[in-house]
Parts: sequence; C-alpha cells; structure tokens
Amino acid sequence: MRTFSVRRARFIALCLLPGVVFVALFTYYPVIRGAVMAFQRYNLFDLTSTPFVGLENFRAVLGEDRFWTALRNTGTWVAVSLFFQFFLGFGLALLLRRHFRGRGLYQAWVFFPWAMSGFLIGLLWRWMFNGQFGVINDLLLKTGIIDQRIGFLATPGWAMTSVIVANVWYGVTFFAIMIMAALQSVPKELYEAASVDGASRLRQFWHVTLPHIRPTLALIVLLRIIWILNFPDLIYSMTGGGPAGSTDIITTFLIQQVIGGDYGRAGAVGLLILGLLLSFSVFYLNATRFEKAR
Amino acid sequence: MKKPLLAAAVATTLVLAGCGSGSSSSGEVRLRMIESLTSPERTKLIKTLIAGFEKANPGVTVELVSPPLDSADQKITQILQTKKDLDVLEVRDHTAKSFSNNGWLAELPTTEWPGWSDLTELAQKKAVEVGGKAYLIPYGFYQRTLFYRTDFGMAQPPTTWEELYEAGKKMTSGDRYGYSFRGGKGGADYAVMMISAYNGEALNPEKSFYLKDKRTIFSTPEAAQAMELYVKIFKEASPPDSVSWGYPEMVQGFTSGVTGMLIQDPEVIKTVEDSGVTAWSTTPIPKGPTGYAFQPVGYAGWGATSFTKHPKEAVKLVQFLSEAKQSIAFAKGNSLIPISKQAQNDPQFSQGAWKAYLQAQQDPKQVTTIRPVDYPGWSQFGVDSDRDVQALLTGKKTVAEVLKSWDAFWIDQAKKVS
Amino acid sequence: MRRVATVAKVVVLTAWLLITLFPLYWIVVTSLKPKPEIFSVPLKYWPGTVTFEHYADLFSFADFGAYLLNSLMVSLVAAGSVTAIGVLGGYTLARFAFPGRGVLMLAFLVTQMIPLFIALGPLYLLMSDLDLLNRLAGLMLVYVAMLVPFATIIMRGFYERVPVALEEAAQVDGASRLVAMVRVVIPVMLPGIAATFIFAFVQCWNELFLAITFIDSEDAKTIPVAMNSFITQYDIDWGSMAAATVVSVVPTLVLFAAIRRYIVEGLTAGAVKG
Repeated sequence: MRTFSVRRARFIALCLLPGVVFVALFTYYPVIRGAVMAFQRYNLFDLTSTPFVGLENFRAVLGEDRFWTALRNTGTWVAVSLFFQFFLGFGLALLLRRHFRGRGLYQAWVFFPWAMSGFLIGLLWRWMFNGQFGVINDLLLKTGIIDQRIGFLATPGWAMTSVIVANVWYGVTFFAIMIMAALQSVPKELYEAASVDGASRLRQFWHVTLPHIRPTLALIVLLRIIWILNFPDLIYSMTGGGPAGSTDIITTFLIQQVIGGDYGRAGAVGLLILGLLLSFSVFYLNATRFEKAR
Repeated sequence: MKKPLLAAAVATTLVLAGCGSGSSSSGEVRLRMIESLTSPERTKLIKTLIAGFEKANPGVTVELVSPPLDSADQKITQILQTKKDLDVLEVRDHTAKSFSNNGWLAELPTTEWPGWSDLTELAQKKAVEVGGKAYLIPYGFYQRTLFYRTDFGMAQPPTTWEELYEAGKKMTSGDRYGYSFRGGKGGADYAVMMISAYNGEALNPEKSFYLKDKRTIFSTPEAAQAMELYVKIFKEASPPDSVSWGYPEMVQGFTSGVTGMLIQDPEVIKTVEDSGVTAWSTTPIPKGPTGYAFQPVGYAGWGATSFTKHPKEAVKLVQFLSEAKQSIAFAKGNSLIPISKQAQNDPQFSQGAWKAYLQAQQDPKQVTTIRPVDYPGWSQFGVDSDRDVQALLTGKKTVAEVLKSWDAFWIDQAKKVS
Repeated sequence: MRRVATVAKVVVLTAWLLITLFPLYWIVVTSLKPKPEIFSVPLKYWPGTVTFEHYADLFSFADFGAYLLNSLMVSLVAAGSVTAIGVLGGYTLARFAFPGRGVLMLAFLVTQMIPLFIALGPLYLLMSDLDLLNRLAGLMLVYVAMLVPFATIIMRGFYERVPVALEEAAQVDGASRLVAMVRVVIPVMLPGIAATFIFAFVQCWNELFLAITFIDSEDAKTIPVAMNSFITQYDIDWGSMAAATVVSVVPTLVLFAAIRRYIVEGLTAGAVKG
C-alpha cells in the first residue's frame, strides 16, 4: 500500500467514478426508494394516496402463516441443496484434479448447466417432472422403481424434492469449478513434503489439502448460501411456489407481493430478507474466523 | 494520465447511450397499444385488424405490445403509472375500476358515435358499468360452460354438482379421470362458483360474495357443504396432478383425453375443435341443491388513456375495433360472446357448442352476477384464496378454517367500502 | 488396486456425464418431435418423425433472429463495459489505501445480498423518467450497474495476486502508473479478465426479470423476454420452448468451450455467483 497525495487521489477517484455512479444510481437509489415504500401504504391498484403507515407492512407480513412457512422452506431449500451441491461438486473436482486424456472435453460437457439460466432450468425440469408426459416418471416406471406415476410437482413433499433435485443438478458445476480452482492453489511443495514423510493419499488430503483450502471453501459456501437464497428463478418457473405454498421460499414470497401490486409489503419483505442475510453473514464470518484462529 | 481515463469513461458512456433501439421521428402519428389476455393466435388476429385500421387511416401507425399473460395486467398498470407512451389499452372487468380511479382512462364518446347503437344492451351496460362513464368498449363476453366427452360412457350430462361428482367418479379409472380440476392459479374461483350455487336464492347477485342479508356467502352451512363436495370431486374424480393445474393444464387434460369434463370459457370451443377431439358437447354449468347456478359475466374491452398525445386517433382506433365487422371477426377468432347486434343473425353463435349459452341465457335460475372487483382487497384475495384452496386439497387446512378466513376477509372488506 | 480405482473413476465420471447431459438430450429430442408426439404415451426416446417445424416457427412466427441480435448486442456491450470498469476499480482497491475504501467495499458486497425485487418498482419509474424504457441502452445500463460490484471485487482479487514489484519495476523505467498497468499488469491478468467477461456475458445473456420489466416493445426484446412469452394462457408450447432453449444455449456453450481453460484458471479469486 502506498501513501496518499492529491495526484493519486485524483487517479483513484477517476478509476472508481464510473462504477460508483452506476451502482449509486441504478442500485442504491431504487433500493432505498423501495425501502422507504416498506413504511408506506403503496398499492399499485390505488396510487391516489400513499401515506406513511409506520410498521404496518411489517406487522402484516410477520402475522402471515405463509411468511413463516416460506422461511422454514427456505431453510430446507438452502441446506439440502447446499449439502448435495457441495459434496457432489467436491467429488467431481477431486476426480477432475489430475489430468487425463479428454479431460478438457469432459469439462466442457459437464459444465454446461452453468451456461443456462435458472428460468430455463426450471422449465426444463418442470417438463421432465410432468405427471403425465414427464420422462422421469416414464424412466422410473420402466425400471420398475415405481408402479404408478407420481405427480411430482403436485404433491407437497415431492415438489420440494423435485425443485431441490433440479437445483443440485444446476449447482454442482459451480462448486466443482470453484473447488478445482481452490485445489490448484495448493502449492506442490506441500504434497512433495508430505509424500516424503510417507503419508497416504487420504492423510495427505486430510492434513495438507483441506487445511490449505479451508478459508476459500468457507467463503465459497457463504456466497453460495446467499446466492441460493436469492435465487427464485428456478422455483418460480418450475412450481411458482406451489402446491399450497410448499415450495415457497422467502424470495418467491417477495415476488408474489410484487405481482400482487403491493410495493409496500414487498419492501417490507425485501428489508427482512436483507436483514436476515446481513446478520447471517456477520455470524458466519465470525464463526469461521474463530475456527481459523483456533 | 487523466486523458486516456476520461476518454475511456466517455467512450463507455457513449457506447452505452448510442445503442438505443431508436424511435421513429417523422411527422406520422404513432400509437402504442397494449393487450392483456395474450396468446399467439389472438395477437396475430389483432395485428390483422390493426393493419386494416392503418390502411383506412394513412399516416397513423400502431405498435402492438403483447406482454406475457401471467403478468400482463401488472405490466399495464406499471406503464400507466408513468403516464407516458401508451394510447390504447385492453381494460378488463377487474382492472377497470382501479384504472379509472387513478385517472388513467379517457372517457369515450358514446351517443355521438354511430357504432354505439349497434352494441347489444349488455355491451352498452358493461361499457359504463364503472363510474357511469364509458371508459371502455367491451369486445366480447366470457361465460363458463361445461364441456364433456360423449364417448366416456356418460348417458346424460350432469345438471348439478352432485351429479357431476357421481359421473366423474364413474369415469375415473386407470389413466382416465372424470373432471379437469383447477387447483392452481385461479382455482379458488371454482370453489366460489360452487359455494354460490349452494347458497341459492339467498345470494345477492349484485354483490356476489354477500347474501341478501349482508352476511358473506362463506358464513353459511351450505358453503361448508359445497366445499366438502368440492374436495371430494378433487380426491375421487380428478387427476392427483390437478392440485396444481391452471388454465393450460386443465384444457390440455380435456383435449388429450385424460379427463372427461371441463368447465371453461367459450374460447375453449375453438381449442377443442382444433385439438381433434370429436365426441364432445357442452351444457350449462351445474347447479346447487336448490336449483340455482351463479356466475359473473366476464368482460374486457378497449379503452384510451387520459394522457395520450393523440386522443383523436386513439379514440378512432377503439371505435374501429368495436365496429360490427371487426368486433365480430374478433369474437369469432377467439370464440367470445359478441357485442354486436348484427352477430345475433350469425349462425356461428347459435349452433353446436354455442347452444349451451343460449340455453343458459333462457334459464332464469342460471343467474349472472357481479363480483366485488371494486373492493380494495380483490386482487389480494385472488392470491390468498388460491393458496388456501391448495392447502385445503393437500390436507393442510380444513374446510372450516378456509371458510372462516374468507368470511373474516370479506366482513373486513365490507367495512372498508362502506 | 490402481486399476480398480481407475475403473471406478471412469464409471463415476461417466454416470455423472449422463446425468448432466440427459436433460439436454431430452430438450433436443422434444424440440424435434411433432406436436402430437410430444403429448403421447408411451414416450418415445427418439422422435418417430424428426421435424424442424419448431425451429422454423422460431424464425418465422417469432422474430427470433432479431432477439438473438438484441441479446448479443446487450450482452457484449454490457459485459465489455463491466469488465473495463472492473479493471479500473479493482486496481485502485487493490493498490491504494484511501479513506472510504472499506465503506466502498462493503457497499459493493452488500449489493450482492439485496433481493432484486425490492428495487424493481422504483427502478422502473427511474428508467421511465430517463426515457430508457424499451431501449437496449437502458437494459445495458442496468446490467452494468448490476454486475459492477462483482466485477470490481473479483478484479481486485486478481490484482492482489500480481506482485507489486512487477509494476514498480516498470515505473522505475519511467512509465506512468497507467502505462505500467496496461503494459505489465494486464497481460498477466488476461485469464482473469476473460473469466470476468464471460461470467458477465452469461449473466446478461440469461437475465430475465429486469428484461421483462423494462422491455415490451417487439423490436427491443431479448431472448429470455421472448421465451417468457411462449408461456401462454392456453398452453406452454413445449415444442417451441425446447427449440428456443437449444438455440439460446448454443452461443454461451460455444463461448464457454472456447475459453474454458481461462475460467477454471480465472475464478480462483473468489467472489463469484452463478
């Protein structure tokens, strides 16, 4: 780091200016405006008066069963998706770590879900999970695993399973890429030292690899949690939160408020989500830092 | 040092700003028009009608905006609130009130327009239903009817909900089911339809969520009876998948032979005809135990915005679309109940599947109602009640719980309106 | 022992490849089936008659060529601008201590947590006031704003891995800071820049919710907006939907395959979503 001077200050300001202007104008301004609406009665279908109503919107949202159901579902959605994405992604990364013939081509194919949007993936799996003409039912029937078609997206328990399956399928790639990158950052000398000591592969992994990449993993996982939670696209195009709100997560709940035209309540839900994520992040970062120090 | 940086920043801005889609700026009048109940076929039809208008009015061009159906009304509301860039729009029965309340709609001329006298009485009535002024000219009416397969072993079509349940149960076996149930978006509407029928004569058709004695229709024991049967129809006569079915799935269920009965709007007549199913017919919607059936007449129409820069041309376009020739073409293309008196002589609207509509019109116990669309909680109830219905069907809520919350909701609404 | 491990590895990798590719295979098959065949039981795993009607529909009934062009233009310009802004901003954040640096970093990080929908209504009004609705330029501006924090933070990570000594050596030779940055640092960072660009491109290419909010004119639609309109009241037209999916995935797939090497290399720095 260097010292401060006027000339340098000007350089810094000019470099940062475009980014700051964009973010201030097109992100922070509307977000703050939206946050203010959380304290207003602001319904699209009647804009003749938009008085400030204090915490009324928050009270209304917190008083709804659906909000709490969505919150519980969010927990399941994030935890289960993350668990499988992480371990499958980790496994894939380990298998792809060493070079083998055709690895490049294999990666190109196996990483393709990453290129698709959540919206498309939701539609794609909605089609595959279809109760009448869905290929998944057909495959399960053919292999004798089930003897009757399952209405995957129509039965509460199955619907959640289905959206999570789709999400896992989508997210493994990301984890694999990130973990591969982290694995490559482990200096070769460390392994060499370990193998001189006669450590087995497994011990090497446990004592050399894992400690080295742990901080990176912690960060990846945090980002992933935030991202999965802020990811309504897939659920929205796959089930729309149904049946009976059983796949509603907190962000699809927010979308419903927006579509209902109630910007006041939408603002309140948005602020609640933001608060939740911020406090979780602070807690998480503290917890992982603590572990590192120990 | 500064210069290349500045240059880069300026260049970025310029590149970004320069890539507009560019709007035309000649002396022509350019109208922007938005539709709501979109579908590819319908958009095509509207475009041909617009082409006719452009031909008859040189110097005027019309850009048609067709948002996806799901969020179309929200999109329209969003554009309206900016009071910019919109001249002609589709107004639906449940958006008319809020659009006019916010001062977004222009009053349309009636008596000084020759086409007015050609409108049916119903069309004239609905045109001025909101606020007593013509904020829209309807383009057609929607009313539900029962579609049924004649080759699924049913001797007589059901006339009551109880009969529909029995017939549906008989049809259900293996991959075939009796009834195209709607448990997804819009599903609560069907529950309300049954509840209304069960309340019978006590219901107030002018405010169809309330009884004549001001209580809500959800408060009665008849409502509970209706809901019990509603759940039974789902469980015993409908595909399990239908708990999440919306419009496309229920129609597809019928046309693909999965279900034998379907209650839907007249535009489905065309869909069924095109699907290749031949053994089918229609009959009026089922009644309750006391012999009554209630349903609203759904309508939508064309209106002009209050802030248009070309009021003359915008009104002209609305009138053009509402004239007999165009409106009949539109009603035929979408199979809607037409607005023009001249259509009464048109054989298409009195034959085949359309007979059920004539039959319903002549039956004094098939009553048309007005829903409380102008109450502040109307759109909220739409979202809430659909979710309640799914919760009911999946066993997460009981009939009593659902009815109690609906009753409470509309008691509260009544207070807000009075 | 080693052989067993190799066989196991091949089996697992093959299984995963199949799981990954099966949905892709299934959209392709669906897109090639005539409509009645899509909705018929028993399912066919290869079309009885192969048809290209759904693809033809895309380019005749819907103006898919124009949508492709719009998407391409928006994504290229926005991703390019974002990367440029990230290169500048990331550099300052990595190399200088200045008042407000921490606050700025935090402000950028927080944007990654904000649920987009809270801003949608007010943003719409802002765009209307600026006359940017229904214009590709408007979409580009919003996309740039959406991706700048990510690009800046990730670029900062890349700079931190480039030794300061490298540019100092160049500066000793009399080059200005900017010249040093362009001549010495940027070449080292090319993989990272490529990764950032690709990532931004894919995000713009796939973005749905902002696009459907700001674009409804036919001539400014991007591919996701157009595809969203295939979900009609009557029917999800699975044939056209499948064909559109295939067409819309091809460009990102090609791009991805071309510079895949850089991506794995480049994303080491951390802060990525996707």
